[in-house]
Amino acid sequence: MSSWHTPEATARLKKRYAAERRFKAMGVVAIVLSLSFLAFLLITMVSKGIGGLDMQFLQGSDSTNPDDAGIWGAFKGSLLTMAVTLALSFPLGVLSAIYLEEFAPRKRWVEWVEVSINNLAAVPSIIFGLLGLAIFIQFAGLPRSSPLVGGITLALMTMPVIVISGRNAIKSVPPSIRDAALAVGASPVQTVFHHVLPLALPGILTGTIIGMARALGETAPLLIIGMRVFASAPPQSVTDASSVLPMQIFLWSDEIDQGFVQNTSAAIIVLLLFLLAMNGLAIYLRNKFETRW
Amino acid sequence: MSPLIILIALFALAAASWFAARAKARLFYKGRGSMAALPSYHGWHMALWVLVPALAVWAIWSAIAPGLVQSAILSDPAAAILPKMDLERDAIIAEAMTAAANDGFGTFRAESAALVPAVQAITVRFSWIGAILTALVAFAGGAFGYSRIKAAFPARTRVETAVMALLMAASFVAILTTIGIIGSLIFETGIFFTYVSPADFLFGTNWNPDPFAAVTPELGEKLGAVPLFWGTLFIGAIIAMIVAIPFGLMSAIYLTQYASANFRKFAKPALEILAGVPTVVYGYFAALTVAPMVRDFAAFVGVDNPTTESALAAGIVMGVMIIPFVSSMADDSIAAVPQSMRDGSLAMGATQSETIKKVLIPAALPGIVAGIMLAISRAIGETMIVYMAAGAAANLSANPFDSMTTVTYQIARLLTGDGDFDHPATLSAFALGLVLFGVTLVLNVIALNVVKRYREAYE
Repeated sequence: MSSWHTPEATARLKKRYAAERRFKAMGVVAIVLSLSFLAFLLITMVSKGIGGLDMQFLQGSDSTNPDDAGIWGAFKGSLLTMAVTLALSFPLGVLSAIYLEEFAPRKRWVEWVEVSINNLAAVPSIIFGLLGLAIFIQFAGLPRSSPLVGGITLALMTMPVIVISGRNAIKSVPPSIRDAALAVGASPVQTVFHHVLPLALPGILTGTIIGMARALGETAPLLIIGMRVFASAPPQSVTDASSVLPMQIFLWSDEIDQGFVQNTSAAIIVLLLFLLAMNGLAIYLRNKFETRW
Repeated sequence: MSPLIILIALFALAAASWFAARAKARLFYKGRGSMAALPSYHGWHMALWVLVPALAVWAIWSAIAPGLVQSAILSDPAAAILPKMDLERDAIIAEAMTAAANDGFGTFRAESAALVPAVQAITVRFSWIGAILTALVAFAGGAFGYSRIKAAFPARTRVETAVMALLMAASFVAILTTIGIIGSLIFETGIFFTYVSPADFLFGTNWNPDPFAAVTPELGEKLGAVPLFWGTLFIGAIIAMIVAIPFGLMSAIYLTQYASANFRKFAKPALEILAGVPTVVYGYFAALTVAPMVRDFAAFVGVDNPTTESALAAGIVMGVMIIPFVSSMADDSIAAVPQSMRDGSLAMGATQSETIKKVLIPAALPGIVAGIMLAISRAIGETMIVYMAAGAAANLSANPFDSMTTVTYQIARLLTGDGDFDHPATLSAFALGLVLFGVTLVLNVIALNVVKRYREAYE
């Protein structure tokens, strides 16, 4: 018998294999527990809220009576806010992504832009609310509680996300495309806008949708700029005081009346479905247009 | 003239001039190489000349018009009835201007009601002046642009210079946002510190803000933020991390080292859904389901009078929210460890778990630690979960079943209350915001640098 097969060695090996199995089991447990928390959350919301999803709920606005209260007012507020956010953050984000990736010289101020963008992407969202309150409402005098101010605030929050994903999408377009365009006489600006940008667009759109989905679920900054309003009618324009979907969830969760538990859960179902649709669209775009070079 | 109409009119004019300029430029076209720029670039050139100066003039006018309207009202004969006192006079004018915008409704003073017609006339007059001025500049710019259309005119290089300026301006917005955040936080915090000394705020242990209290030097005694800093760290950096680090790390290890491709394909996106659920949903779930469970558990282990709002409930839910974040950061760092190190360890006879524990994790540690720092920065900046589940009581205790409050909770509560914006208690929200911003900034900068250096080390 060699020294590999002594009883001590066999016992040690058994212990090591047991440790291996324990470690592997810990991994499974970690994933299963995390996912069952998600399942528990979703099942709780669906079971409490599904009874409240009817036409009355989908078409109504906020009300003090849980049976009359509906989601359309807040939903329209969310749509208006998102429209402002998209209109500002998409062009700004794409243009700065193009500049930083294709044209920016190695200068001190460009470094500052890059540092700013990386940090803004990680700044707590409530800080953007403080910015919105101090600058847009107190200083510039824009209407409080309005989708306009909410949209601008969320746009500043979403822009870094679009810039970062936009830069990655532009970076993944192979240099040969640029070389070919430049070789046949296109100017650098023409090269970027006629050739690089169209090829990078699916990636940019995917990043934009993900950023917009994050903005749609955001509550804290909108709380600070006063979108915590009781709106019994849908907003007519971006300057009307309005609520948004997550804010409606927050407001209803604060109500003492038990009838609002169903409303809150039903509103959560609507919000999650909407987010799921947006993320599904992003995945579809990525799979459909993604080019492997 | 409403701003929207002016904007639409300007853009319509620019579009029309695009076509006009292109049509004129086409007349110069005498075959390949006969022109310095394609006709459509002449279109863009003229459209820019219509749009940019007019927009600039209009923006400047919008900025100075309120001041001009104010002085015009004062020099109007109808303003003779106004008192000489500045404060009251301004209040009356402000009221009359609001009423004028609302067709004369909403006046409380006789003086302002009398002033409404004059104010309306002046406002209308000045908005017309602005609109006409803008139109004049637009047409002048257009005429200049149109006159430049020649075969030899390098319209493309001019347009491209403008495009570059636009790209630079867009990049500048990020810096402006950062400056805006830092500037507004420091400005409001500076006002706050004229009422309350920084030492009282940073080291005081009694937090009991009252936005309606009289402003006295003793106010600072009730604005000591230590309990908030403690609550924030206890919930975000301790409880949440006790949940998120083991779960996130183990799921990353399992997904990258053990799981089959099929399981990974299903489990990874499923974990990412956890990160995509809005925080308000987590907050509601924490308050509705997790908090009562924690309370029952506290009663079960023998805590006296357990509350529904507890640091533990908020911390656990926040930890679950952070799991996918920790997991994906750990995933990246482990994947960056060179295959040769793993192969070397396995070749020496180590089991897979021994390789992971003794080789991969030590090698990936800088990246993992940086990921945890980013996770903490995210957790302490989270608002909705603590707002809905952790409570308002500023307790300085280490008992996880106690109700505790955080920096973000207090910012949100102080600024959504009915308090006066200029009251020190309300302004303290900005001081809290500055502390939060500073701490997360330091965490982010250190973590991003560690990640960068770590990646370079293995490349």
